[in-house]
Amino acid sequence: MRSDVLIIGGGIQGCATAYQLALRGVSVTVLEKDWVSRHASGVNAGGVRLLGRHLSEVELSKASMALWPDLDDELDADTGFSCRSLINIAADETDMEILHGRQQQMHQRGLHHEVIIDQKELRERLPHVADFCVGGVVSETDGYAIPYKTTLAFRNAAARQGARFVEGVTATGIRKVGDSWLVSSEDAEFEGEYLINCAGAWADKIAVMIGDNVPLSYSAPMLMITTRMPHFATPVVGAVSRPLSFKQFENGTVLIGGGAKGFADRDANRTRLDYAKLAGGAKNAIDFFPIMKSASINRMWAGLEAYMPDNLPVIGKAVNADKAFHVFGFSAHGFQMGPIVGQVMADLVTEGSSSFDLQAFRIDRFERKVL
Amino acid sequence: MQTSFDIAIIGAGPAGMSAAITAAETGASVVVLDDKPKAGGQIYRNVADSPLQDPNLLGEDYLQGKALLERFENSPVERIQGATVWHLGDNGEVLFSKDQQTCSLTARELMLSCGAMERPFPIPGWHLPGVMSAGSAQVMLKSDALVMDGAIFAGTGPLLYLIVAQYLRLGVKVKALVDTTSKSGYIQAASHFGGALSGLPMIQKGLTLLAEIKRAGVPVYRFAESLSVQGEEKVTALQFNCGKQQHLLETEHLFLHQGVIPNLNMTRSLGLEHRWCEQQLCWKPDLNEWGQSSIDSISVAGDCSGIVGADGSQMMGKMVALNQLYRLGLIDREQRDQQAVSSRKQLSRLNSFRRFIDTLYRPIDQHRIPSQADTVICRCEEQNLEQLQQGFAQGARGPNELKGLTRCGMGPCQGRQCGHTVSELLAQWRGERVEEVGYYRLRSPMRLLNLTELSRFNRISAANPPEKKVLAGERR
Ligand SMILES: Cc1cc2nc3c(=O)[nH]c(=O)nc-3n(C[C@H](O)[C@H](O)[C@H](O)COP(=O)(O)OP(=O)(O)OC[C@H]3O[C@@H](n4cnc5c(N)ncnc54)[C@H](O)[C@@H]3O)c2cc1C
Ligand SMILES: Cc1cc2nc3c(=O)[nH]c(=O)nc-3n(C[C@H](O)[C@H](O)[C@H](O)COP(=O)(O)OP(=O)(O)OC[C@H]3O[C@@H](n4cnc5c(N)ncnc54)[C@H](O)[C@@H]3O)c2cc1C
Repeated sequence: MRSDVLIIGGGIQGCATAYQLALRGVSVTVLEKDWVSRHASGVNAGGVRLLGRHLSEVELSKASMALWPDLDDELDADTGFSCRSLINIAADETDMEILHGRQQQMHQRGLHHEVIIDQKELRERLPHVADFCVGGVVSETDGYAIPYKTTLAFRNAAARQGARFVEGVTATGIRKVGDSWLVSSEDAEFEGEYLINCAGAWADKIAVMIGDNVPLSYSAPMLMITTRMPHFATPVVGAVSRPLSFKQFENGTVLIGGGAKGFADRDANRTRLDYAKLAGGAKNAIDFFPIMKSASINRMWAGLEAYMPDNLPVIGKAVNADKAFHVFGFSAHGFQMGPIVGQVMADLVTEGSSSFDLQAFRIDRFERKVL
Repeated sequence: MQTSFDIAIIGAGPAGMSAAITAAETGASVVVLDDKPKAGGQIYRNVADSPLQDPNLLGEDYLQGKALLERFENSPVERIQGATVWHLGDNGEVLFSKDQQTCSLTARELMLSCGAMERPFPIPGWHLPGVMSAGSAQVMLKSDALVMDGAIFAGTGPLLYLIVAQYLRLGVKVKALVDTTSKSGYIQAASHFGGALSGLPMIQKGLTLLAEIKRAGVPVYRFAESLSVQGEEKVTALQFNCGKQQHLLETEHLFLHQGVIPNLNMTRSLGLEHRWCEQQLCWKPDLNEWGQSSIDSISVAGDCSGIVGADGSQMMGKMVALNQLYRLGLIDREQRDQQAVSSRKQLSRLNSFRRFIDTLYRPIDQHRIPSQADTVICRCEEQNLEQLQQGFAQGARGPNELKGLTRCGMGPCQGRQCGHTVSELLAQWRGERVEEVGYYRLRSPMRLLNLTELSRFNRISAANPPEKKVLAGERR
C-alpha cells in the first residue's frame, strides 16, 4: 500500500507530524520498531519548558508553548498538561551574574518571558528552598505534561484522521526508485512519496540510508520518582548551574531529574543506570530542598535519547535526497517542542517551506566545520 | 568489610540458609543478605526467640527450623541481617540499604532466594481497612504475638488452615472459616492421587488441621463462591454463596488467603526470562535443572523460583549451591552430581505432592480475574476494573502500556498486588494466552529507597579476594 508520506519512528515527533499531515488530508504511514511511545517520548520527565532555551531555539519553543494549553481540546484527550511556572534557582552570586548576562541578550532580541527574581520572591514562590539560595529566574508559561499520554494522544488523534500506525516493524532498508521511497522491514515493504526520519536515538542509521551523514550520539538520561509527599512545591524547579531538576505532580509524587546519564545500549534497546550518579542527584535535591530528606524513591529509570554536538535538533530537508526530511537529535529537551514540530513538518511537506528560521537545525551544519 | 565474594545469597529462608551451609562447607566465600532482623525466612520467622510463651503451639514444622538455623549460624559465612537489597546487576553487583546507608558489593555468582508472597485476592471490597491477608495474621503472631479476636478467615490452601489452627491453639476466637476450595478441585485432585500417595503424611497433616478446626466448633462454610467484602469506610461484613444459598457474616476483621506465588520483583527487575505456569497460575523465572536462570551466573532457589514449599526450598538451595560451586571450580562435576542425588530425589517426590496441592487448592477464576466494574485492582494507584478496561479500549494492549496510560502498577508495591491480575485480565480481553501478554517491565529499586540513604552511597573498592584452591581449573 502506498501513502503520500512514510514516517519512521513513533515518538512524539513522528506522531505529531502524522497528526498535522493527516489533518491536511495527506495519507500517512508511521513505522515503529517497538510500540508508539516506547522510548524517549514515553519515559521522559514531561517538562514543558521554555525557560533557558538556546537562542536559536527560542522562537520555535515559544510557538510550541502557545499550543500546549489548548492541546487537550485539540486532540480530544488528556495530556496531563499543567501550567506551573518554572524557576531556575541561583545558588550564589556567580549564578546571578550568569542570569543577568543572559537577560541582556534576551532583551536585545525583544524577548521578555524570563524574569529574574530575588531571594525574597524565590522564598515566596518556593517556601521550602534552602537558605543559601540567593534568587533565580522564572518563566510563567512553563509546566509539565504526562509524556506517555501526550504522545498517545497525538497518535490517536492522527489515527482518527486516517493515519496508519504499524508497530513492531523495524525499517531495515531504504531505497529511492523513481518517485517512490521504498522502505523495507524483515517481511514487508512500504512505499511513499515522502519520507520523514523521526527515529530518535537511531536516526543516524536512517539518515545514512537516506544519504546524509550526521554526528549523532546517544545517551541515557536518568530519572527517579518518589512516593506521594505532602505538597511542598508548585513550580517546576531547576538550577542555573547545578544538576538539579524536579517537579511535584498533583498526586504528590516528585520526579527528580538533573541530567545525570546512565549507560545506553541502543542495539539491545536497553539502558543501565549509574547509581553513584543518581546518588549525587539525591544529594543535590536534599541540599536544595531539605524537606526531601525523608522522600522514598519508588522507581528509577532511563530513556534512550539522541544528542547533537551543539545540543540543538536537526529539523529540515535532507541534503542528499529529494522529498526526504529529518527530525531528531533533540538532546533531552524535545518533548516540549513536539506540538510545533508537527506543524513545521507538515508545512515543509505540503508547502515546501516553513515560516520559522530553520538554519540552525540543518543536518549538514557540522560538515562545513570539518577540516 | 569484605566487598567481593564467590557467592552472594539474597534471602535467609530455608533455601538461602541451606545453600549457604553447603557452599561454605567447600570453602567458598559466601555472603547472605536478608532484610529481617533475624534469619529464618517466612516460615521460621523468630523461631529461636519467639515472643510467644509457648511457641510449641505453632506446630512441629515451625520448631524444626531451629536446627537449620543453628547450623546456618555456625557456618563460616558473612551474614548481613537488616540489609534490604534494592538492586542486583547482571554483572554481579549488589546494592543494599543498611543502617541508613547504601552499600555495594560484588559476587561471581548470585543466588536469589527471596521467597514467596501471598496471591492477591481481588474481590469487591478487598482494599477496605480491616481486610488483611492471612499471612499477615501469622506474621503479627510470630513476630509480635499480636492477634485479632472474632475474625473471619476466607479462602483456600493449607496455609489458611494452618493459621486458623495456630489461632485456635492460642485460644483466640475465630468467627468462621469460609472455604473457597472448589468441588472441581477435589475431583481433579483425586485423579492425581496416585502422585500424592508418596507424600501421604503431608496430606494427613492437612486433614488433621481441618478436623482440628471443626472440633473447636468454628463454623466452616465449604465450596464458597462469589466472595464480596461489604462496608463503606471499613469492612463490616463478608458476603458469599454456597450453592444457591447466600450468606452474610458480619465482622470487623477479615483475613483472606488463596495460596502463595513467587516474589517476582527481583527476578523481573534483573530482566530474567520468565514463563507462565498454568499449574500454579503464576509467572516463574525460566530455570534449568540446577536453578540457573537465563543469565548463567544468576540462580534462583526456593519459593521465588516457583512454589516448592519449605522442605523443597531447602533441597533446592543445596542443589543450586552445588552447581555454583562447580561453576566456580571448587568441586568437580562428579562431586556435584553425587552430592545432589538425595536432594534431587526428595525434590521430585515433593513435586508430585505439590501437583496434588496445586490442583486441589487451585484458586477459582472469579477470585483471580475480577468482573465487577468497581473492583479495585491496583491498590496503590486506586485503579479499578472499569478504568483498566478504558485504558485497554484506548489502545493499551500490554501491561506496560496499560501502566503508562492508567498508572496501574506504578505505586510503591511495584505491581506485586496487581501484576498477575493484569496479565490474566489482558489475556482474557485479547483472547490470547497469558504468556503472550507478558508482565510489567520492572526496574530498580526493588524496594522503596529513602533519598537520604541513596545520597550516602559508598562504592567501596573491592578487597582482595581470599586465597582458595581451585580444583577443576577453568570456570564454567
Ligand atoms: C529521561 C529523559 C528525560 C527527558 N526529559 C525531557 C523534558 O523534561 N522535557 C523535554 O522537552 N524533553 C525531555 N526529554 C527529551 C524528549 O523525551 C525527547 O527529545 C523526545 O521525546 C524525542 O522524541 P522523538 O520522537 O524524536 O524520539 P523517540 O521518542 O525516541 O522516538 C523515536 C522512535 O523511533 C523508533 N525507531 C528507531 N529506529 C527505527 C526503525 N529503524 N524502524 C522503525 N522505528 C524506529 C524508535 O523505536 C522510537 O520509538 C527527555 C528525554 C529522556 C530520555
Ligand atoms: C506470609 C507467608 C506465610 C507462610 N507461612 C508458612 C508456614 O507457616 N508454614 C509453611 O510450611 N510455609 C509457610 N509459608 C510458605 C513458606 O514461606 C515457604 O515455603 C518457605 O519459607 C520458602 O522458603 P524460601 O527460602 O524460598 O523463602 P523465605 O522463607 O520466604 O525467605 C526469603 C527471605 O528473603 C528475604 N527477602 C526478600 N526480599 C528481600 C530483599 N529485597 N532484600 C533482602 N532480603 C529479602 C525475606 O524477608 C525472607 O527472610 C508462608 C509463606 C508466606 C508468603
